[in-house]
Amino acid sequence: MHEMILSELTWAVGDDYVQNNDADSLGHSIDYYWVPECWHDRGGKPTPPDFIVHPSTSKQVAEVLKIANTHKIPVTPWGGGSGSQGGALPIYGGIILDMKRMNKVLSIDPVSMTVTVEVGINTQHLEWEVNKAGFSTMHFPASIACATLGGFIAHRGTGVLSTKYGKIEDMIMSLEVVTPTGEIIHTLPVPRHASGPSLTELYLGSEGTLGVVTRATMKIHMIPESRKFHAFLFKTMHEAMDAGSKIMTSRLQPCVVRLYDENETEKLVKRVLGIDKQGAYLVFGFDGPEKIVDLQLENACAICAKTATEDLGVEAGQSWWDNRYKFFYPPYMFHMPQAFGTLDTVATFSNIENVYWAMKKTVNENFPEATFIGHFSHWYDWGCMLYARFIIDEPPEDPTEAIALYNRIWDMTIRAAIKEGGVINEHHGVGLKLGRIMRDLYGPAFTVLESIKKTLDPNNIMNPGKMGFPGKGV
Amino acid sequence: MYIDKFEDAINACRFCFMCRHLDPVGNVTFRESDIPRGRALIADRIRMDPANLKNRDFIDTFYRSALSGANRTHCVSHYDEIGITIAARRDIVEAGFAPQKVKSVADKLVCVSFSISGKGELLYLGKNPSLYPGCMTITGGDPGKALEVLGFFNESQKVLEQFKQKVAESGCKTLVVAEPSSYHFLKENLSEVKVVHCAEYLLEKSAGSAEQRKAFYMESDFLKNYCDSSEIASELLEKSGWNLLPFGTNTEESTAVGEGAVVFDELNPELCRKLCHHVVELAGNDTKTPFVTASLYVKQVFSKYEPKIKIMTIEDTLVYEG
Repeated sequence: MHEMILSELTWAVGDDYVQNNDADSLGHSIDYYWVPECWHDRGGKPTPPDFIVHPSTSKQVAEVLKIANTHKIPVTPWGGGSGSQGGALPIYGGIILDMKRMNKVLSIDPVSMTVTVEVGINTQHLEWEVNKAGFSTMHFPASIACATLGGFIAHRGTGVLSTKYGKIEDMIMSLEVVTPTGEIIHTLPVPRHASGPSLTELYLGSEGTLGVVTRATMKIHMIPESRKFHAFLFKTMHEAMDAGSKIMTSRLQPCVVRLYDENETEKLVKRVLGIDKQGAYLVFGFDGPEKIVDLQLENACAICAKTATEDLGVEAGQSWWDNRYKFFYPPYMFHMPQAFGTLDTVATFSNIENVYWAMKKTVNENFPEATFIGHFSHWYDWGCMLYARFIIDEPPEDPTEAIALYNRIWDMTIRAAIKEGGVINEHHGVGLKLGRIMRDLYGPAFTVLESIKKTLDPNNIMNPGKMGFPGKGV
Repeated sequence: MYIDKFEDAINACRFCFMCRHLDPVGNVTFRESDIPRGRALIADRIRMDPANLKNRDFIDTFYRSALSGANRTHCVSHYDEIGITIAARRDIVEAGFAPQKVKSVADKLVCVSFSISGKGELLYLGKNPSLYPGCMTITGGDPGKALEVLGFFNESQKVLEQFKQKVAESGCKTLVVAEPSSYHFLKENLSEVKVVHCAEYLLEKSAGSAEQRKAFYMESDFLKNYCDSSEIASELLEKSGWNLLPFGTNTEESTAVGEGAVVFDELNPELCRKLCHHVVELAGNDTKTPFVTASLYVKQVFSKYEPKIKIMTIEDTLVYEG
């Protein structure tokens, strides 16, 4: 049977583009989720796929899904594999649909300021391509060099300039999708309409459970004349949060606001940026025509100056921008044998500090071996995102014990956050990691999502066991 | 095992994706094994269980690497992911698991016989002795770099010793080297003589040119990412009247089509063809503007797989009359 399926798949995409060797299987059995990393680190072997398939067209994707439906084989779409939630792991084996070969920029529309691309494109490559034409996607995530556009679409990813330019769901105009049964469909060409519910929105964040996104049209922007940053130090995170929320609710339009709690200021900001200060570090930036940037910056600085303990100036702000990705390179990023997780939560300004304190209290009181740190990364005119993290320097050596501890921390902190009005999560997605939380989060509304899944994917071939949907054979 | 010396890099790279966009092989095969993370994971698996050293898929992966330095240069901590691959190749060779095609290439590389011709105070290693009047020339083959990157370290050292002996016999105190891979290797291994790249030597001698011509310059992986001296070649070209056109979408990606692996084309001809094609695509399929490279290897494989493209070495440009 294995050989027969292999023949069908190679017929669909070509001999060179189906692999089932040990080297590629190893690479596809581990993504950026801590659990498979832990298994590997402790000598275990996370589940590999049976076949790794690299389609080059939407038609080939459709062919592969038809084959998978015939044989009822799980299909797990894979972009860059840099997701932190286990969303791209082939937990039931089957087919990994590696989308990186679908990497072409199809057209740039300089009048409407959009680009149409195949979504397997690496997002740094995409940015470079549109830069060459004089534009920018303004999508600058920490994983820009690792992830594909499809990966961001799959889990509603975001970049550091989200406060002005939005998350991926704000950037996408329309999508081409291959449904689980192999039909190629297109969503409406513009995102604002009154022609029924938004199909584009249905697929944004669906994590490969409802079909495979193959093409997207997204907004692009002129490269701004000016982009400037400024940083302040506050005695406590509360005062900094108050200043940050005032910048947002006064309807200034920063491209970025980032606030580090006292722990993270002391540890990470010092280590990566070399700014050695006690307190909470707040940085913000504006971009656009220089006169407007200067005026907005002046207003934001005036808000902060009222309560800040120190004006760190332009240089301490620019340094953050220049080193924004450095936080995520080794050895600055947390690494094995440490256990670590990003408790990404979003809430309104009224609730966000309560969420922070509830999560921190849960970690501190129940898991003395863990350290809790956090920063607030993506800001809206109604609230912001908490990028909280727990770190255990010496987790149990036994992987089963280590993973059980890891999951207990997640379960308790997330439920504490939900109780305070937090939504888990803002931009990392659900995947395997948080599937079990979806019912808590959605309540009875989750049955609507389940019904959609059952209708669109009757054989449950698409990424089974993710997003709280049933696993294989359920 | 030699890979144990790269434990830090393996631990750093095995779960890191931050340079995946720059691996030239990964960018044309799209395979997870063909990026530094993939290779580090394999090395880690081998460290955990040395029996994996004989795994054919793992071996093939290590020999498919172009050994581009772009990823290491990009990394903020410059973890030596190339070192992992070369160490793994050495482990494979010394355990007796080298594939036949690798052994065949190595067998040819071992058969060298260096000789010196001409008279002068400087010694030149390259294919264009007419550009170096008053220099002696050393010929006979690769001085050991190719064997080293294939994992045949002991054989590489033997060849190097033969080369050193001939250099000593010449009495020259300065060696001018044309091929960037040899330049990098000899600069690291010859302490008795001063090793300079041909562009450095020619730049000093050049009177300059008022003539203005355009070309795409394909950065040498060795000059840029191994020796941190890419400017010597571009300075010479600009002084010689070559206007180097922006090329591709960025300055980080390697366009050296396997130069880092020295004999990449002999091991992976189809992959090398893809790399050449990718470079032509990056240049907008422009068949009119000539390409310039510092490497004769690059010129040879480019001429083979993209015959419509006019390609010259830096030395060729000095006598170019197009």
